[in-house]
Amino acid sequence: MRDDRIEAKREADALDEPAREARELAERLGLEPYPVRYWVVDHDQMNELIAYGGFQRRYPHWRWGMNYERQRKKDRHGLGKAFEIVNNDDPSHAFLQESNAPADQKAVITHVEAHADFFANNEWFGLYADRGEGGPNAAARLERNADRIASIAKRGDVDRDEVERLVDAVSALEDTIDQHSPVDAARSVEEPGIAADVSDGDEDPVAAIEARIDDLDLSEEVRRDVFDDEWLEARGEGVEPETPRPDVLAFLRDHGKRYDPESGKAIDREPWETTVIDAIREEAYYFAGQKQTKVMNEGWATYWEATMMGGEGFAGPDEFLTYADHMARVLGSPGLNPYKLGFELWTHVELRAARREVIDKLLRVEGVTPENFHSRIDLDEVADLLEPHPAIAAAGPATLDELADLAAAGDSRVDAEAVDRALSARDGDDEASDDIDVERYPWKLLTREGLAERHYVLSRPEHRGALRNVSREALEEQARYLFDVDRYETVEEAIADVDRAAGWERMFSVRESHNDVTFVDAFLTDEFVREGNYFTYEYSQAAEEHRVASVDAEDVRKKLLLRFTNFGKPTIVVLDGNFRNRGELLLGHRYNGVALDEERAKATLKRAFELWGRPVNLATIRVEYDDGAVRRAKRRGEEPDGTEVGVRLQYDGGEVTEHDLDESVRERITADEVDYDTKPDDWLA
Amino acid sequence: MGLTEDRERFREVGETRRADLSEFISHGDLGGSGADRIRIPIKVVDLPAFEYDQRSAGGVGQGGDGQPQPGQPVDPEPGDGDEEGDPGEEGGDHEYYEMDPEEFARELDEALGLDLEPKGKQVIEEVEGDFTDTARSGPRGTLDVDEFFKRGLKRHLATDFDEAYVREGLFVDGADVDDVFAWARDQGTPVSRAWIADAAATVADEAGEPVAALDRWESFEALDDGVDREPVTHRIRREGLDSVPFRSEDERFRHPEVIEKRERNVVVINVRDASGSMRETKRELVERVFTPMDWYLTGKYDAAEFRYVVHDAEAWEVDREEFFGIQSGGGTRISSAYDLVEELLTEYPYSEWNRYVFAAGDSENAGSDTRDNVIPAMESIDANLQAYVETQPGDGAANARHADEVESAFGDADDVAVARVSEPDDVTDAIYEILSTESGGGGGAPDGATVARRTDGGEHR
Repeated sequence: MRDDRIEAKREADALDEPAREARELAERLGLEPYPVRYWVVDHDQMNELIAYGGFQRRYPHWRWGMNYERQRKKDRHGLGKAFEIVNNDDPSHAFLQESNAPADQKAVITHVEAHADFFANNEWFGLYADRGEGGPNAAARLERNADRIASIAKRGDVDRDEVERLVDAVSALEDTIDQHSPVDAARSVEEPGIAADVSDGDEDPVAAIEARIDDLDLSEEVRRDVFDDEWLEARGEGVEPETPRPDVLAFLRDHGKRYDPESGKAIDREPWETTVIDAIREEAYYFAGQKQTKVMNEGWATYWEATMMGGEGFAGPDEFLTYADHMARVLGSPGLNPYKLGFELWTHVELRAARREVIDKLLRVEGVTPENFHSRIDLDEVADLLEPHPAIAAAGPATLDELADLAAAGDSRVDAEAVDRALSARDGDDEASDDIDVERYPWKLLTREGLAERHYVLSRPEHRGALRNVSREALEEQARYLFDVDRYETVEEAIADVDRAAGWERMFSVRESHNDVTFVDAFLTDEFVREGNYFTYEYSQAAEEHRVASVDAEDVRKKLLLRFTNFGKPTIVVLDGNFRNRGELLLGHRYNGVALDEERAKATLKRAFELWGRPVNLATIRVEYDDGAVRRAKRRGEEPDGTEVGVRLQYDGGEVTEHDLDESVRERITADEVDYDTKPDDWLA
Repeated sequence: MGLTEDRERFREVGETRRADLSEFISHGDLGGSGADRIRIPIKVVDLPAFEYDQRSAGGVGQGGDGQPQPGQPVDPEPGDGDEEGDPGEEGGDHEYYEMDPEEFARELDEALGLDLEPKGKQVIEEVEGDFTDTARSGPRGTLDVDEFFKRGLKRHLATDFDEAYVREGLFVDGADVDDVFAWARDQGTPVSRAWIADAAATVADEAGEPVAALDRWESFEALDDGVDREPVTHRIRREGLDSVPFRSEDERFRHPEVIEKRERNVVVINVRDASGSMRETKRELVERVFTPMDWYLTGKYDAAEFRYVVHDAEAWEVDREEFFGIQSGGGTRISSAYDLVEELLTEYPYSEWNRYVFAAGDSENAGSDTRDNVIPAMESIDANLQAYVETQPGDGAANARHADEVESAFGDADDVAVARVSEPDDVTDAIYEILSTESGGGGGAPDGATVARRTDGGEHR
C-alpha cells in the first residue's frame, strides 16, 4: 500500500503538519489516542481497503470480492465516496482518500484522532485489546489468519471449496458469541495441533514450524503452557450445559464434529477445520467491539472533529465552508444516522454534566433552595458570569499581552511557557528557536482548563437556555444529596468555583465504560426524543403496512435498544449438547416478544449442522394470527391478537422439519421481563 | 491470495461452484427502472444469520418536520447513511446501482466497443431557442428591461448637463441669454435656449437686476478657469439617479431565436413469442436481452417510444408490464406479429423516426411461415435494425428453424441481426451481436477485446 506516486506523496507531505498539529491539539483537549499512521490512497485502493474492512490482508474469501464490487460501484456512481477508513489497532492506520479537498483531509484527521482515542480507551474494545498481548495487534493477527487459511486452502489434500464453505458456516454464526467477555484465549489459533495442519504434506514441516515459532511471542507461549491439551479435554465434559451458553461458536468448536456423507456418521474434524473456526471466531471478537459502539464511536469522533475544526479553527477561513458542507452532509444523511445520533447524545451528556455542576454550585449559595432557585437566582447574571474570559475566548496574537498578564498571575488556564515564546517571537527575539504560530494555532496558548472555558457548552448560543429549563424536581433531586450548603455568599463566588471542564470529564468517563446499549439507555432523554422528532413504527397486521406507533421517549428508547442489543440480532444460546440423549444440539432463541426471520433461521441452522455434524435443533416462539381473528380485527379497526406458539425446528441433513416444543424448553427460552412492543392500544382507531 | 482472486471467486459463487450459496444470491429484477433512471441489479450474496423478523421488530425513525402522529403510515427507514468508512462494517444492501440511460449507453458503448451514431431525422419542428433576438414590439412580458433601462439611461446622459455651471454663465459681465447659449453650445452642453432664458429670468428676479448687469466673472474664459465642471457621470454617482426618462421608442422585446432541430427519435417494437413452448426461463432470457437494449436506445436518442407485441398464432399489443410475463397456450405463427408491426409502424414514418424491431422466441414457427411470410415482411419493413433473438432453441422440436432461416436469408446484411441466447451468460454477447450489426456498418473496427468477445460468443453456435 506504500505509494510512491508523486501525487500521493505530495499529498502525504502536505498532511504532515495537520496530522502533527491535530495530535497536539487532541492531546491538549485531553484525548489519549493510539498513535496513528496516515496513508494517502487513491480511490481504487480505498475501495479495496473498505472491501477488506480496513485491513490490507485478510483470509481469502469471496466476500471481499463482493464488497469490492459493491464499493467500486458506489464510488463510481457517486453514491458514497469514502473519505477515510481507520482501523482499530495500536498504532492505528488511517487511510485517507487522495482526492479529498484539503479541508476534508484536515477534518478527517481530527475525526481519526478521536477514533483512535476511543479505540484506546473504551473498555469494550479493551476486551479484545487487553487480552494479554499488550494491545490489539489487529493487523498482525488478521494477517496471520490470512496466511493460515490461505495455506490451508492451497494444500493438496484439502478441497478449497470446503475451506470456503466452512468459513461461510462460521461467518453465518459470527454474532452468536459472548461479546461481553474477552475473547477466550484458549481458543485463539495458537493451539497445539496447529503445526500439523498448516504444513502441506509436500512441504518441509520443520520450516513451517519455524515460521510459526517466529510468530509467537512470550505471552502466547505462556498461554500454550496454561491451556494445553489436557485442559482442553477437561473442557470437553460440558456437553450438557447447566446454564445456557451464549458463545455458540465456542461450543460448536469444542464439541462439534463433521458430518461424513459417505458413512452417514459424524466424524472428528480435521485439525485444519478447527484452525479455520478459531480464526474466524477470533476475528468476530475483534470486530464485536466496533459493532457494539458504533453510535458512540462515530458520535465521539464527530464531536471532537467539530470542536477542533470549527471551534479551534483547524480549518482555515478559506476551508471552513468546505468543512461545514462536509459536516452537514455527514450529519444530514437519512435514516437513523449513527453520526448524528451519537453526536447529539454526546452533546447532551456534556450539557447535562455542565448544567449539573453549575446548579451544584448555585445551590450552595447562602439562602438558595430548590424552591426559590428560579426567583432568587438571576440566570442572566449567571450566564454573563459564565462567559469565558475575553482574553481566553479570543486567544491569539491580539490578546498576547493580556494572556501574559494572566500567566504572570499564575493563571492555570494559560500555558505560560507558550505565551512567553510567542511574546519573544513577536518582539523579534531570535533566541526563540521553535516559533509557535499563534495566528493559526491559538490553542497552543491555553491549557486544557483554558480550552474547556473557551469551548464551554453553556456559553454556546444554542445552549444558553439550558439552565432555565431545569425543573424544580430536578433541583430537588440534586439538592437532596447535597452537603456543605451555604458555602458561598454570592452567586459570583459560586460561579467562580464552577469547573468548566465538568462536561468533558463526564464525557471521558462515559467513553470508557459504555457501549451503544448502555449509552442509549442512559442518555436518551425525553427532551432528546422530542427535539429530534424520533418515533417508533410497527407493522400492522390489520392494515398490512408499517405505521407510526409511538412518539413516547420510553418507547423510542426501547426500540433503539432492540436495535443495539446483541448487534441488533436475536440472542441464541446453547441449551443442550446431548439433546434427546442422541448427541443432538439444541439451540434456544431467547424470545423477547420479537419473532425470528424463520427462513433465514432455517438456512442458518443448516450452517450450524455443518459445524455440529449431527442433527441440530432450534427452539423458538412464533406468533400466529388466525385468519378469522385478523378479519374481525380489521372490521373493528383493531390490531388482531396473535398467539405465541412454541416451535422446534430440526435439521438432520435432509429437510428442516418442524416439531412441537416441550413446555420445559419453552420456559427456558421465554424472557418475560422485556417488551419491545410499542403499539398503543387504540392504535388504528 | 488477493483482490483479483477474491473477485474471481465471488463471480463464480453460485454459478460454476458453491451451488449451496445460490439460494442466497439476489440479482434484483430488471424492473423498477424509469425513463430517466436505470436500476442495474448487482449480484449480492447474503449469508444467512439468526435475525429478527423485520415486521415483528418494527423500528425507529426520525420525523423531518415535527413529530408524526401514531397511526400514520410510514415506509420503514431507507437505510443508514454511511458516508465515511466504518471499520468492520459491511455496507447496507444496495442491490442496485442507479444510472441514467445516457450513462448506461456510454458504459455499454465502452464495454462492448460499440459505435452507434443516432441518426437525426428530417426537421420535424422548429424549436424555439433562447430569447436572444429582439424586436420593437412584442408582448409586455418579453420586454427587455435591461435594454430598456440602458437606452433610457443613455438618453438621460445625452440630455443631462451641469445646470449650476450653465447658470453661472449668466453671471459673466455683459453676457445675455444668447451669449450664454452660444457659449454653452460651444462647450457641447446639451442645453436649450429656452432653459437659459428661464434661468435668466429666475436669476434676474433673485438679484433684482438684469443678467447682463451681473458681473461675477469678467469673461467666459475667467469662468472656465474658475469653475470646475462636474461630469454628468460623477453627478449621477453622487446624487443617484432620480429619474431616467423612459420612452416607448426605447422598448425592445425579446423573442426566441428559431432553431431548426433535427430530433433524434426512435421507436422500438419489441416482439415476443408467447406460445406454450415459451417457458419461464426463456421469457426471462428475453427480458434480460431486451431490457438493456431498450435502456441503451433510450440513452442514445432524444425521444424513445416503445411498443410491445406478443403473439402465438395471433398477435396483439400489450403494455410493458405484461410483455415479459404473458404465456398463452396457442401455437406459433410469427408472421402474425410482423403484420401487426407493419401496422404499428405506419404511425412512425421512417422519414421521421429511427425504427428498431426486435423479436424473440424459441425459433419454432408454423410450417413454412418464416419463408413464405416473415422474411418478405422483414424485407419490406424499413428499419434501422431488425433482430431476432433465439432463446433456448430446439427443445427437440424439428420446426425450430426460424433463426437459421432468417440468418441465411439476410446473411451479412447490416440491418438484420440474429442472436442466440441459451443461458444468462450469453446475454452480453447477444446484445453486442445485435447492436454492433447496425453500428458496425459505419463504425470503426472493433478493438482487440471486442474481437475476443465475439469469438467467445461464437462458441454457442
